[in-house]
Amino acid sequence: MPQDYILARLLSNNAQWAEDVDRAEPGFFAETAKGQAPKVLYIGCADSRVPESVVTASKPGDIFVHRNIANQFHLNDDSALSVLTYAVAHVGVQHVILVGHTNCGGAAACHAAARKPPSAEPPADPLTRWLAPLTEIAREHEDLTDLVEANVRAQVTNIAAADVMAAAWAAGKDVQVHGWVYELETGRMRDLGVSVGKAGPV
Amino acid sequence: MPQDYVLARLLANNSDWAKDVEKDHPGFFEESAKKQSPKVLYIGCSDSRVPESVATMSMPGDIFVHRNIAKYPISIPLLPLLQFHLFDDNALSVLTFAITALGVSHIIVAGHTGCGGVQAALDTAHPPPDFQPPADPLPRWLAPLTEIARAPEFEGGPVALTEANVRAQVENIARTDVLKAAWAAANANVDEDVDVQVHGWMYELETGRMRDLGISVGKADVS
Repeated sequence: MPQDYILARLLSNNAQWAEDVDRAEPGFFAETAKGQAPKVLYIGCADSRVPESVVTASKPGDIFVHRNIANQFHLNDDSALSVLTYAVAHVGVQHVILVGHTNCGGAAACHAAARKPPSAEPPADPLTRWLAPLTEIAREHEDLTDLVEANVRAQVTNIAAADVMAAAWAAGKDVQVHGWVYELETGRMRDLGVSVGKAGPV
Repeated sequence: MPQDYVLARLLANNSDWAKDVEKDHPGFFEESAKKQSPKVLYIGCSDSRVPESVATMSMPGDIFVHRNIAKYPISIPLLPLLQFHLFDDNALSVLTFAITALGVSHIIVAGHTGCGGVQAALDTAHPPPDFQPPADPLPRWLAPLTEIARAPEFEGGPVALTEANVRAQVENIARTDVLKAAWAAANANVDEDVDVQVHGWMYELETGRMRDLGISVGKADVS
């Protein structure tokens, strides 16, 4: 069946990869199984075209990752807050990178929703609820690329306002929060230059 | 500064990678920018040692991905299992988008050995001496998993709890409205190949190998 082919390919690719890594770096897996010490937390979009570790040629152990629809960080979302807390307070990452990308389906949906008459009912499904904050931001941005960047800036601001960040900074840890955009058209990551550290904007 | 080196290296790696891809597959980026049509949604752990696309040699466009602490998807209050919290709009919105907007054929829930979230749940349920609970909101997030670990009928350590978790996640995803609707549509479809299957996998840190737990469910299981 064609569908089984997809899974079979993932598994055989994985077997090949594991063999290649073991040959090139004997003992690599046994070593990484002992623990993780990534320096970076990456928060990005679930979009299949932005596999963060492939596009940055990163290896197992390099990047702690959270991916969701339209790279959101909501201060009332236990999932993202748990990831940030674990990464900053327990794993000890030094950088939190929030990454948006061009041609984001979530951003486009919010752009369209912001230009329709507002609904009298509160959103009834998880996806509409999840995208409500971005839809508000979309009211201010006609251009989609501007919206993608504004979204990144807003999420960086949210992360910087999280309790775990305040606690880390008060303890003297210089954990930095950065905002990047990945350009699908070129495969290139771009730093927006909106970084924040314990002393404020970097 | 040593810290800037970390970022500089990521950006330099990305630049080299983009050049290599353009050389080996001219026009790849321009084409993939137009739209995405992945066949697979992968739900896994945020753990840095399980980069799913590297471990399966996947290319941009192959896999739609959600990663969180201990790969929690949805949980239904009646069943104190699993990490899909019923009101977790984060995971539910990924699932909804993957099925209704992208039409994925496979949903893979992948656990892994050495999971810190699983260990924290085990330790919370059966505290070792000097146990310090993790910082908020982790205890709340891990509560359903901690309940499995506390249950008298649960026996075993981290690997057993991880597998129990993956099993429960698969079951709970199968109970969501969005999956039930997708299966109803697939069973009504004359094309026998149209289906959405939910699978449970384990990634073994010690060997780098993904393993299918053989607990898949699809439209045939509900027809």
